[in-house]
Amino acid sequence: MKIFNSDVILGIVVIAGAAVYLWADSRLPVAAMADPLGPKAFPVLVGCGLILSGLILLAEGRKKYRTASGTTHRRRVDMRQVATLCGMLAWTVLYYATFDSVGYLIGTPIFIFGLLCHFHRGKHLVNGLIAIGFTAVAYALFSLLLHVPLPTGPIPI
Amino acid sequence: MESLHGILHGLAVAATPEHLLYTLIGTFIGTMISHLPGIGPSAGIALLIPVTFGMDPSTALMMLAGIYYGCMYGGAVTAILLNTPGDAAAVMTVLDGYPLARKGRAAATLAIAAVSSFIAGTIGVTALAFIASPLAAFALHFGPTEYFGLIFFALSTVSALTGDSLGKGLLATFLGLGLATVGIDLQSGVQRFTLGLVSLQDRVNFLIVVVGLFAIAEVSRMVEGTMGGTLHTVKVKGRLWFTREDWRRAYPAIFRGAGVGFFCGAAPGLGGTIASMLSYILEKKISKHPEEFGHGAIEGVAAPEAATNADTCGAFVHLLALGVPGSGATAVIMGAFIMFGIQPGPMLFQTQPDLVWGLIASMYIGNMMLLVLNLPLVGVLARILYVPPGVLLCIILGIASAGVYSFNYDSFDLFLALVFGVLGYAFRKLDIPKAPLLFGLILGHTLEQSFRQALTISNGDAFVFVQSPICAFLLFCGLVSIGASLWARRQPATVLDEAKGRVAAESHSG
Repeated sequence: MKIFNSDVILGIVVIAGAAVYLWADSRLPVAAMADPLGPKAFPVLVGCGLILSGLILLAEGRKKYRTASGTTHRRRVDMRQVATLCGMLAWTVLYYATFDSVGYLIGTPIFIFGLLCHFHRGKHLVNGLIAIGFTAVAYALFSLLLHVPLPTGPIPI
Repeated sequence: MESLHGILHGLAVAATPEHLLYTLIGTFIGTMISHLPGIGPSAGIALLIPVTFGMDPSTALMMLAGIYYGCMYGGAVTAILLNTPGDAAAVMTVLDGYPLARKGRAAATLAIAAVSSFIAGTIGVTALAFIASPLAAFALHFGPTEYFGLIFFALSTVSALTGDSLGKGLLATFLGLGLATVGIDLQSGVQRFTLGLVSLQDRVNFLIVVVGLFAIAEVSRMVEGTMGGTLHTVKVKGRLWFTREDWRRAYPAIFRGAGVGFFCGAAPGLGGTIASMLSYILEKKISKHPEEFGHGAIEGVAAPEAATNADTCGAFVHLLALGVPGSGATAVIMGAFIMFGIQPGPMLFQTQPDLVWGLIASMYIGNMMLLVLNLPLVGVLARILYVPPGVLLCIILGIASAGVYSFNYDSFDLFLALVFGVLGYAFRKLDIPKAPLLFGLILGHTLEQSFRQALTISNGDAFVFVQSPICAFLLFCGLVSIGASLWARRQPATVLDEAKGRVAAESHSG
């Protein structure tokens, strides 16, 4: 298992992805009115290029393995950071999923305040003011000044 | 002569109160962005593109260009005071800038960086004005075959020279090209790789990809920074001007750095980091005091700063004259051009002389504004460094979300940006360069059209690409750049590694 460094794994994933891309390209319909080359030709070149880059990654991975005389450098993974990033991702997905229904003016301060509670701990009053202040400024800029119709949710504006 | 008339005409356009105001806003925002560790020019421009909705295109592009060169200008501040480059290109400034600051010469070092940037920026804009127009006139003769060769050259150079691995550079480029094939094919009407999603029929929005890859992904870096080490800021103290001896040593380095930087910028894919690295190596090689480099040589600040700023102007040569971006940030600016319905390229000088010459002339004015802004306000601007990263990352996420929504008023785009944010995080962890993906995405459509048109005209004869001398030459140059990168893989990168190593060591020592 030592041989599987990150470049080799990446190379294998890229080749597999390129195969799926080429398979999807082969299933595209051919339009009768299209140009002689059609919509399939260029993606074939891109797919072949992806396979080529995957093969180069495999070769580079092998070379790294050899020059490192069989040892691979393992990066230390900070599980606390990973957990924080996953939590942040989930919180962002929830914010985006409710973006239309909850509305910008309600969803954004809750989202920002939630993040600040973790990244700027113990300063709840300041965090609350930042969350509300940011939302007000961003809403004024985008909705009132730039006329971007940000979702209002249940607030009748 | 035509260029001189163009500059004078451009100055008249750029000197209107509205254009002056937005150039000032752009340069100021760019300087502020450069003070925020993690947010580079590409992300900064992409985040602010929504603000330009409804603006006159000339005004908007002057502001966005101002953000770009303002960012490059101010990147030195964090490099000198914080030992952390404000943008990737300022990494070489760390080597001598930070030691000088620790010797109590922070103010003088910042002053020499500002003056170097101003002189090199002015030289760069002048060179841009005199080169872009004739190049555009020459490019008017380009057909689809030549455009295919040109884009092939740009993509192969950026794949070969960006990052530490050819495989990863090519992977990013082909991923970008693959993304460019998503959506309805305009020639046949066939839906390609849309996964049945209506929102993807109109292709993947370039600006959403940029916000995801750069802004949202960079938030993850800030999270790691917040939870990792601490940053040690050197206070700005001492006389805010340099000595006669400093100037005597710095000014030849500034002119050499400007030359190296402009040529690196004009070659697509080389970018500011390589420009600053080459100029640093050059100065060290020809210096009478090479032993001082790395310990506080003033030339080690002047040359890379000059190169970085001249590189910015060089990157605009391709964008304005050929419609091919010269760097990641100019790729984002090209996205803004397209958003305004303007196709950059050789016709731009014919169809939009006010815009193109106004934009070039605004760079002269912007450079002067930056000098005036940076010298007296450096102490004030440096206070941005004390904004807690935890607060900053929340604000960046908030701006990115509202900005992405404003492109199409579609919450699907938010998820798309998040997907690209995760992809950007994976790219960073796997050391895959992001700029080639941007190049592939923004040039992919033109590359495919040129490829299909050339083969349609030649009745499917693939030799058409080598029958045109220009195309054959460009294809040859592209292959040479890939071959060269395979042959001499990053030999001069030892100096760059030294700079990156020092940044990493300092950030972990806390």
